[in-house]
Formats: sequence, C-alpha cells, structure tokens
Amino acid sequence: MLTIRNLVTCYGPIKALKNVSLHVVKGEIVCLIGANGAGKTTLMLSIMGIVKPKEGEILFEDEPIHKLPTPSIVARGISLVPEGRQIFYPLTVEENLELGAYHRYKKEPKESIRLDLEKVYELFPRLKERRKQLAGTLSGGEQQMLAIGRAFMARPKLLMLDEPSLGLAPLLVDSILKTIKSLNEEGLTILLVEQNARRALELAHRGYVLETGKIVLQGRTEDLMADEDIKRAYLGKDYREFTD
Amino acid sequence: MKPDNTIEYLSQEGWRQWHLELLQSTINRVYHRVPFYRKLMDINNISPEDIKSLEDLKKLPFTTREHLEENYPYDLFAVPLRDIVRLHTFPGPRTPIVKGFTLRDISAVRRLTARFLAVSGVTSEDIIQICLDPGMSVWIAEIKEGAEELGASVIPPDPQSVQNRIKVMRDFRASVLITTPSYALYLMDLMQEKGIEPPKSLSLIVFVGEGIEEEERVRLEQVMGVSTRLGYGVTEAVGPGMGYECDKKSGYHLAVDYFIPEIIDPETGKDVPPGEVGELVITTLAVKANPLIRFRTGDMARFITEPCPCGRTTPRISQIVGQADGRVSIRGIKVSLTYIENLLEKAYSHIPEYVLCIKKKNYLERLSLWVAINEKLFEPSILGLHQVAERFERLFAETFGLECRLKLVEKEHLEEISKGKKIIYLH
Repeated sequence: MLTIRNLVTCYGPIKALKNVSLHVVKGEIVCLIGANGAGKTTLMLSIMGIVKPKEGEILFEDEPIHKLPTPSIVARGISLVPEGRQIFYPLTVEENLELGAYHRYKKEPKESIRLDLEKVYELFPRLKERRKQLAGTLSGGEQQMLAIGRAFMARPKLLMLDEPSLGLAPLLVDSILKTIKSLNEEGLTILLVEQNARRALELAHRGYVLETGKIVLQGRTEDLMADEDIKRAYLGKDYREFTD
Repeated sequence: MKPDNTIEYLSQEGWRQWHLELLQSTINRVYHRVPFYRKLMDINNISPEDIKSLEDLKKLPFTTREHLEENYPYDLFAVPLRDIVRLHTFPGPRTPIVKGFTLRDISAVRRLTARFLAVSGVTSEDIIQICLDPGMSVWIAEIKEGAEELGASVIPPDPQSVQNRIKVMRDFRASVLITTPSYALYLMDLMQEKGIEPPKSLSLIVFVGEGIEEEERVRLEQVMGVSTRLGYGVTEAVGPGMGYECDKKSGYHLAVDYFIPEIIDPETGKDVPPGEVGELVITTLAVKANPLIRFRTGDMARFITEPCPCGRTTPRISQIVGQADGRVSIRGIKVSLTYIENLLEKAYSHIPEYVLCIKKKNYLERLSLWVAINEKLFEPSILGLHQVAERFERLFAETFGLECRLKLVEKEHLEEISKGKKIIYLH
C-alpha cells in the first residue's frame, strides 16, 4: 500500500533521514521505533508532504505522492494524528471532527459524513458526551481521542499516528491502543510511531528501527521483541544506542 | 506447526523492495559494527548511503573464506559477544572458522529449515532419521531443530554401524531419511547385497550436502520405493534449506527472504549472463551475529530463468556443477586444496608435489593423497616416514572428520597419473 525508497529529508544542511526504505502492506499495523531525534516524526511529516523530501520516492497505492501537496495526499487516503494532538482548542469537539472531513464535503453526500461522525462517537463515547464542549477544555486523553477521531473523519486508507500514548495515564494508553487495534481489525492500515517500544511491538505486526535517520533493523514484531539489541536499546535493559 | 510460506509467492516488485530494505539495514549495521566491513567499504570509497538500489550491491567487494579465517576469532561479529548464544566452528587451513548465532539467528535458521523440510514433504506425522557424517555436525543440529519445529520426530545420527541404522530405521518405522546421495546409494547397495527389503515405512529421502545424477536418483527411488528431494545450503552463510526443490523437482528454489544470491564469473567477478554457469555469491539479510556481504561460496551453478510451474516466485538455481576454488565436496564436506597443503606443510615442513585421488567404492568416496618422494622427505628410517604419514592422516581426520590415506610414490609415477591436475577421480 505504502512503499518508500531511499527517502532523504534535510533540515538545512542536516540530513534527518538518510536513505530510508520501508513498506506497509494493506491491513497491517507497522510500527516505527527509535530514540528521540531518530527521524520518526520527520518520516511521517515527509509522507504527508508537510516537509518536502530531498531525494527518494514515496508510492501510495503504486502512485508517487512525494511531489503532491498535503491536501492531495490526504484526499488520496492518508491521515496523520500528529504528535501533541494539535487539535483546534477554540472550536468544539464536533467542529474539530467535521474539519477532519473538510475535503469530503464537496464530493460526498452529507449523510456519509454524518455516519462517520456517529462511528467516531461509537468508538469514543466520551467525545459524544462532550460534542459541544470546546476542545481546549478536554483532558489529555480526550484530546488524543479527538485527534484520532478527526483523522478518522478523513476516511483514510492509511492512518498514521505519531506518539499517540505520549503524556497519557497508563489506563488511557491501554484504551487508545485498543482502539487502534480495533480500527485495524476493521480493515484500516496503520503506521504507528511510538516511543513506548514495548507497547508498539505488542500491537504491531511488523516494525522498523530508526536510528539517526537510518533504518538499522526490521522484522516481525515477535522477532524484534526477542532481539537483544532492541531489548537493550528500547525495552529498558541497560539502555544505549545500538550502533554505538 | 506448519510454517507460513506466503513469502515464497511475493511479486517481483515486492521482492525488490524486501531486498532493498534489508540490504540497506544490513549495510547500516555492518558498517557501524564490523570493523572489517567498514574498512573494506572505506578503502573502496563506499558509504552505506551509496546503497540506493540492488544494483549498488555490486559496488561492494567480495568476502571470501580467507577473510573469515583472517578475522578469527572476534572480528566479524556484528553483535556484542554476550549476545552470541551458540558458536559453531569448522575447519580452516590455519585457524578454525567460527560462526556465531544470536537467539534470533537460531530461531530464523530453525524456521527456514522447517520450511525446507515442509516444502520437501515432511509433516508432523513423520519420523525422520538423519544419517550424516560427524563432519556435518552444524547441519545435523540445524536439521534436527527444523524437524522439531515442524513437530516431527527425529533420530539424529548417533554413532552406529550401518546394520544398526537399518535396524533402527525398520523398528521405529522411519518415514523420512535425511542423508547425502552417496550414503543413500551406499545403503541401497548394501540392502540389495544382503537381501534386505527396503523398509516399507520409508517414503521420502531428502538429500543434503551434494547433488545427485538424475539416473542414480531414479534408480534409488525405484529400488527403495521412495520419493526424493534435494536441499542446498552454505554452512558459513545461513544453513541447510537455503535452497530446496518443490514437487516439480526442477532446481533449488532459493529462500531469498534470507539472502540475496548472485552468480558471477569467478575470474572477472562480473555477473554471468542469465542462465549461464558461474559462482554463487551470497549476501545474508536475516543474520544478526555474522552477516556476510557478497560471500563467495565457491559453488558453481546457474540460474534457471523460466518461472517455476509451482507458482513460487523465488529464483531457482541448478544443482551445483562444480567448485570454483579448488575445493571438492566429499559426502557434503568441503575439502579444499589450500587446507590440504597446509596440513602437508605441518607434517613435512614443506609442500611436496601431490595429487588428491578420489575413488568411489560402494558409492562412498575414498580419499588418498599421493605424495611424490623427494630428497626433502628423506627420513633416516622407514619407520620415520611412516610416522610422518600417520601424522598427516591424523591431522586430516581431525580437520575434516574424513579418512585420507597418504601414499608415497615416485615423482614420475605421480606425474603420469595426475597429468598436471591436483584432483583426480579413480574408478
């Protein structure tokens, strides 16, 4: 579904991604793990066209998308739940959700958008309770639900989540990850960035390890969890970067 | 457990992406972690970022068995030593060659071996008897684990007389025999000679270690009442099951989710045209402890360019048609002339003229090394000469786990028989 080859993305003279190649197959949950500054967020922003890659190609459903503007990428079916949620605080919950479907209004009947809204409320009953409340007044967990709900409103084929568990209480992390799993079971393909490597590996089918802008390891998540390097670097067994 | 084989049917585009991703991460790791590869890449002015396509693999230099030996003991590991949970050693001319396994490597090889056996027709219902020489101990361990992964029962090759092996095979109703073609032919002949009926339970023979002539294969299948399959592997690279036959029995399907194969001209190092014979070169993708980049296997084979009717999209190679580097395969054990010369030097303090004679007796190769008498060989007594010869024979047996008689002959006689060759076959 998503195929990336030799992606190079720079911030000024600094290469944040160096020849990154990866793929996501329809129906999979793929996770990206790596330390702070490894390039995980940059990779997501590059896929969305928010930062422009310098080299390489990104194919979505066999079509190159790396030269497209962000709105066209969203229209093709990729949605990002950004790190730190970035919801619109002064708007209500429902307005935030409706904005997620902004590119659909001209093309689709209102009814189908309303149905998706209902679906989001089904997924997160808490949001339904607070549909008229200003987003800025929500708790961290509710904001994360709203961010996922908003991304879902774009009817993505591929949902990308950047650190969905960041700053959340353990119980909320569980419920967010459970939601991601059930969305996947309903057929949504997911690319997940998580600092909480253990949780990400438990959830995903396959994973890639990003280190200083390079992929250094990949594989089925059960293999990655058993990998000594991963245990040391990311699962809290005497932590250190593993190409040191 | 039935292995998941969907990967064998990946599209060509899918394979290219799979290989590119794994090649890049492998190179990223070895460059940072293996000083040998870093140096090799630095000298050739290649950085990991230059690997942007599979064709870029060709920019990297080859690795040979000499490199494995030179970097003994620790210099080829890509993981800290404490992550190595198993070490296999095999003979090198001067030092042993080592191959380490992380836990992940062990389970990867086990899964691959299980797939190889499953594609060969082995199921969890089978009772597998392994008959391989102790010189193939690495494979014995790996095949046993692969079979156990499938849930089959295994009879490993404990030291037994051949009669006892046949008895065990019969009494425990072994259904699968895993052995070399030469040992299978030897068993067949022995059974025929002694008037022993081949056990009815036996339905499949999986050959490893070497290939077999079609004619002999057909005869074996008929006489023993079995079907047969062939497997291929390189001990230094991944293990048994790197190549295996599907039910079409037309060449080895290569397990290219574990490595990238190339076939090159051993003289020029360039790719041979598709379908022509050359040396098989392997770059491992799924190995963590001892990754190998463009390792020259010494095995000569050709790619079979037509797609296989079985539907697998993995590339196929022919049976191995020879050795590129002065090695010879004896019952699956690779004996190289460099090693022999090294043993001669140890015994005689110089390398005399010699020829390695391989004689097939009852399908099992018998080795003898004929050495030309010269003045440097001179010992004050016949006994002394004998002792030196015995020393060589002992060293040989220790190194390869095979017997090789040393015979002193006159120089003229040796030249007459060898006609300038180092290896000859006697009939």
